Amino acid sequence: MRTRSAAPRPAAATAVSGPKMEIRGVSKRFVSRRGEVDALATCDVAIAKGEFVTVVGPSGCGKSTLMMIAAGLEEPTTGDVLVDGTPAGPAGPRRSVVFQKFALFPSETVAQNIEFGLRVTGVARAERESRLREQLAIMGLEQFTHAYPHELSGGMQQRVAIARALVVRPEILLMDEPFGALDAQTRSVLQEEVSRLRRVMSYTVMFITHSVEEAVYLGDRVIVMSRRPGRIKKEIAVPRDAAWRGGEIEAANDYADFNAVRREVWELVREEIVRQ
Amino acid sequence: MTSGGATPGPMPRARRVQPAILYGVATLGILLIAWALATSAFALVAPRLLPSPAVVIERAATLITTPFSGATLAGHVVASLQRWLIGVTFAVVLGIPLGVLLAWLPPLRAAVTPAFELLRFIPPFAWVPIAVLWFGASTTTQALVVFIAAFPACVINAQLGVGQVDPILQRAAQVLGAGPLVTLARVVMPVAAPSAFTGVRIAVSNGWMALVGAELIVGKQGLGFLISQGQNNDSVSTIFVGIVAIGLLGALIDLALQKAQARILPWTPAAAGAR
Amino acid sequence: MTSWWRRELTARARAAIAASSIAAMIGVWWLASGPLAWAPPLFLPPPQEVAATFLRMCVEPYIGSTLWVHVVASLRVVMTGWLLAGLVGLPLGIAMAWWRRLRWIVFPVFQLVRPVPPLAWIPLAIVWLGIGDTARVSVVFIAALVPWLMNSMQAVYSVDALLVAAARSLGAGERQILTRVVCRTALPTLVAGARIALGNAWTTLIAAELLAASAGLGYIALNAARTLETAVLLVAMAIIGLLGALFSVGMRRMTRVLAPWSVRATDD
Repeated sequence: MRTRSAAPRPAAATAVSGPKMEIRGVSKRFVSRRGEVDALATCDVAIAKGEFVTVVGPSGCGKSTLMMIAAGLEEPTTGDVLVDGTPAGPAGPRRSVVFQKFALFPSETVAQNIEFGLRVTGVARAERESRLREQLAIMGLEQFTHAYPHELSGGMQQRVAIARALVVRPEILLMDEPFGALDAQTRSVLQEEVSRLRRVMSYTVMFITHSVEEAVYLGDRVIVMSRRPGRIKKEIAVPRDAAWRGGEIEAANDYADFNAVRREVWELVREEIVRQ
Repeated sequence: MTSGGATPGPMPRARRVQPAILYGVATLGILLIAWALATSAFALVAPRLLPSPAVVIERAATLITTPFSGATLAGHVVASLQRWLIGVTFAVVLGIPLGVLLAWLPPLRAAVTPAFELLRFIPPFAWVPIAVLWFGASTTTQALVVFIAAFPACVINAQLGVGQVDPILQRAAQVLGAGPLVTLARVVMPVAAPSAFTGVRIAVSNGWMALVGAELIVGKQGLGFLISQGQNNDSVSTIFVGIVAIGLLGALIDLALQKAQARILPWTPAAAGAR
Repeated sequence: MTSWWRRELTARARAAIAASSIAAMIGVWWLASGPLAWAPPLFLPPPQEVAATFLRMCVEPYIGSTLWVHVVASLRVVMTGWLLAGLVGLPLGIAMAWWRRLRWIVFPVFQLVRPVPPLAWIPLAIVWLGIGDTARVSVVFIAALVPWLMNSMQAVYSVDALLVAAARSLGAGERQILTRVVCRTALPTLVAGARIALGNAWTTLIAAELLAASAGLGYIALNAARTLETAVLLVAMAIIGLLGALFSVGMRRMTRVLAPWSVRATDD
């Protein structure tokens, strides 16, 4: 994958005071045939503009639910989600999503999938085509432009999904365990790509994962959740310009500061897994 | 989020569907009332064409007690069920083993499939004239039509069921020392059984539909015959009673089989069969 | 080494066996109806007679028209009924899957009507509409409506909810999601529903022609049975089967054309 020397997104001239996205007092309760289930206890998360936040926690802790609420795809039982200080409303391209299972439209080619968000919001053709070409180049998909999703490997499909989410220039990017369905090697490659991409374009990202290593490698701030009903257990900052950023994820393990943070996060998660 | 639209997904189970039931009952109720009004109070439709609900119920009562065209309602029902049962039994007893063998022995499959495919597309009713030629207008004719209607579904679904058994199970049996027959009986059949059973359900219902048609065309007894007699005598209420009986029986049969499947084969996954 | 009882054959071997089995069957047929006389010619005319009859029917009228005119008569009724059922069933099925309220209203009525075999409506249709094209088209319509509607509904229902969520998060509105994502993804299943509907329609038509017609393939069959012209009857049956097969194959081809992205090694 080549990182184009495209101009990184211009820093906002008018600095928005306050966080870019705020999840306030959100909880979620499901009603199922077995009765009521509390998936999320009250959570508060604030993400600053340009920040890459990773959320990690034991299985079933509700981190995906939290993300779905943040994306506007599910309604919280209490609390609300604010973007730039105002209630965010239902899902839309301001907060685009990358799903674990890719969710590519099977009846559309790679190019059509990526363009989808631009088409439905009525972006002009010339603009659409130029953005499409840009994304295809950035994600290394040029030779698959007219292929159908089922003809691609898992890694390529997820690249298409990421391209599709980025081409709409979202204000916030939400990623729900995006590499969970991929094999270990593809996962490493994509993790490194995301890290490199990050340095060039500073999106505001909320990234859900169950891998502690991935969370520390990618995140500026790691949010650890407790077991169900999930609440925010602890938030740990990770230096943004650490030496191991953008390099091979394997190599990061050689750095003491990386290991220290990783161990700290892992201990917190382990507590939750082991706790009765 | 969703403004009034439904989010597609798996069919929702009947869990707290109060609104759905209310709507359903209300709609049927309204239709029933409209029917009654149109035929009696407002007389929008000639009673010859569409009798009122009361007349239909009365007719049903009459049919239950008094013979019409040879038998009471119960008599016709029994006659229909008999023929259906014969045809279906043959279809299942012959069809399922054939399906299993077709999946199990590729040479047999290569030999039989062309003929099978050719004959499959001839609708069961197209066999009625030639069956009448061969056997006359008798029970055999109708049982044959039922058989022809039910046979393909049994074969195809049994074949699919066996064909979809993971080969790794057979290899496991083989390395444990099982011969072909034992593998077939104790490993493959149980796994293929749900699919085969689904085939039976489809076959049985196909057979029921075919029977009614066959009885319409030829016959001296049975629900199909009852309906055609209703037509000949210009008695729409008789036709209605017949139709209701047919629909009801068909639904009951399928329901009974569904329950049986849950009992006998509790490991049935929610799979669909070939039609 | 794979055990012999599941070992697949090569395509050539399969073709060879298939060809010889068909030849064998025709041979047995010929023997049974000719030299060996197992079956009287009335019950089973020899193959050459059937072939000759077929050729004759193509040029000479049988009960008023040549074979092809009868075929067209049948096709006309089946296509009309099938297409009408599609016009009603397809949009209605999609709408029922998309809007709950509509489904709650329509589905119970439908569930009541569904168990009744389409043929059972023929006597009613005859009383109401007389013995003409209309009665037959109506019955064919009912027969085709059930699969059109049920399959359309199921097709839309089985679209992965995740795709809808993805479309929504990319900014698509409700109508756009319905047309651009749901309908397109459901297309192969919709076409399968159309195929099943056509099969049902064809079956029902033949039966309807056996009961109430003055032209068409079913009518030929019935008449031939009455006049003991078994060869004609067999020709009619063969054409009926052939057309049914063509419909099925044709619809499958259509799936490949309309939805090339769904080419899986197919089922039945």
